[in-house]
Amino acid sequence: MIIWSIAKTTVGDAMRKKVLQIFLVIAMGLIVISLSFSQTLTFSANQGSTMDLELVKSFGLGLMALAGWLIALVMGVSLIPQEIERRTIYTILSKPVKRYEFIIGKFLGAILTLAICVALMGIVFVGVVAAKAYLAHPAATSIQGAAKQGLDTAGAAAQKIPVIDANMLIGVVMVFLQFFVLVSVVMMFSVVCTPTVNFFLGLGVYIVGLLSSTSLTLANSKDAGVFVKVFYTAIHWVIPNFDKFNVTNVLLYPEMPVGSIALYTLKMTLYGLLFSLGAMLVSIIIFEGKEV
Amino acid sequence: MADAIVVQGLNKTYKGALGDRVAAVVDLNLRVFQGEIFGFIGPNGAGKTTTIKILLGLLFPTQGSVEVLGAPAGDNDTKKRISYLPESPYFYEHMTGYEVLDFYCKLFRLDNAARKSKIAELLDIVGLADDGGRTLRQYSKGMLQRIGVAQSLINDPDLLIFDEPTSGLDPIAHKDIQDLILSLKHMGKTVFLSSHQLSDVETVCDRVAIINRGKLVKLGVMEELLHIGRTVITFSSADQSVMDAVKPLADECRPEGNLLRVYVDSEDDVTRVLEAARGKAHLVSVVPQRQTLEDLFVQIVRGAHK
Repeated sequence: MIIWSIAKTTVGDAMRKKVLQIFLVIAMGLIVISLSFSQTLTFSANQGSTMDLELVKSFGLGLMALAGWLIALVMGVSLIPQEIERRTIYTILSKPVKRYEFIIGKFLGAILTLAICVALMGIVFVGVVAAKAYLAHPAATSIQGAAKQGLDTAGAAAQKIPVIDANMLIGVVMVFLQFFVLVSVVMMFSVVCTPTVNFFLGLGVYIVGLLSSTSLTLANSKDAGVFVKVFYTAIHWVIPNFDKFNVTNVLLYPEMPVGSIALYTLKMTLYGLLFSLGAMLVSIIIFEGKEV
Repeated sequence: MADAIVVQGLNKTYKGALGDRVAAVVDLNLRVFQGEIFGFIGPNGAGKTTTIKILLGLLFPTQGSVEVLGAPAGDNDTKKRISYLPESPYFYEHMTGYEVLDFYCKLFRLDNAARKSKIAELLDIVGLADDGGRTLRQYSKGMLQRIGVAQSLINDPDLLIFDEPTSGLDPIAHKDIQDLILSLKHMGKTVFLSSHQLSDVETVCDRVAIINRGKLVKLGVMEELLHIGRTVITFSSADQSVMDAVKPLADECRPEGNLLRVYVDSEDDVTRVLEAARGKAHLVSVVPQRQTLEDLFVQIVRGAHK
């Protein structure tokens, strides 16, 4: 009851942040506007057909990632410092609330807030993709089975374009998972850092995480010394590999060899959960000894 | 009956900006008895809030021990029996008064029915029965303070720790809170009251501790602390010869119109002054003076700064 109460309050508080609302509204607005995007740079709902649709999908997934990134950072950096600054933490921790209950509640609240934001953007995005697909070839669209037929007959006049593209749903889930991990990391920092320091730390971790494959390549380089190997290997394993969540190309061009995308999503879900759990445990350990 | 609060040899230091250690509390020893209203006063930065936070387990002592209701400070089970009202409490502004209290009731794991009746009762006690449905954003400072008081009463606590409970309140609300504190005492509760409103502390507290620069500089029963043994003797129709006769015996002589006020420090001096003026002036009054807490506080704090 205590954890859930703190989580609900965190969601209510976070969703009322003006800056978060602005990011969300702008992101959703831009996704809607992307309905008019066309490869030929002319306002058109049906020109360019599949190419236009890919543009909308790519733009939408990219925009959601950008908005999710901003929301995760802006919300996560201040989760704990704000409670201390506003002194709400005093009235909460002076009640029979264990410190770990407070941290888990805040974690859960932050993740729920992110889920709500991504879900709202996702609904708009999937709707826009469906509308674009329908407008592109209204006569040729089909909701079921279209995904199986795919886009392998590009250029053919009567190609089937799925109105509901399951891959786009997976794309939305991947955006959520990516920032679910980032929120956890940023929240872990928020136990000890000020919001400004945390913002830049979070930014740094995200950028390094995106370059995780590069750090592994550097670690495996033949010319690398022991220190360099250890350093880059540590970075590769300690910092979440955010690049792994970026599957836009795979989702847009499903003919590429991706194995089972569902299995991959499941694997990434476990990967995200593990990292978040680790971040939460570290937060709990630090917060147990923290003076507020 | 065990003491409500026992603080022994408490020291608390912080890391300063230059890496040095800054002492916030220095060798503090305190005992707060059950059922009393204990005043805890000091100038800004004296270490009051630090001490309170240690009592609540929000900060940890650098040295020394702190027991609250017989358990180490911060003990989770003990928290069920204590409550805290911070200075200028802030709550989630998007919530209504009802929702805020509901949230805090949940932290005590009260079930639905218990929460409902408790919230109605608390809103009534603090005079917000008609405003429970308004968001805190629409509340005045006084109303926020009342909600703060309400949340501190949820668990029917044995020990209440109030930090500036009357700060920013209008006279009516101020009086209400003062009455509430007194009624808590009558109910057998222990109140640990930290306030800059020294008249409040003087009115409601049984004992008071004055802390300055982290050190306890005065602790005692209010009546004993404020009785300074000074007496003012007032004469009328006193001429210069009376003035000359009593001046060597008095601490201070002050003519006021046709009255002469003579301030003496001891009972012996009272007798001597009365003897010296016998037959030369009319005695109007002999009044033992009582210091106010504010006088005592200013005297102690200024004395320490000199």
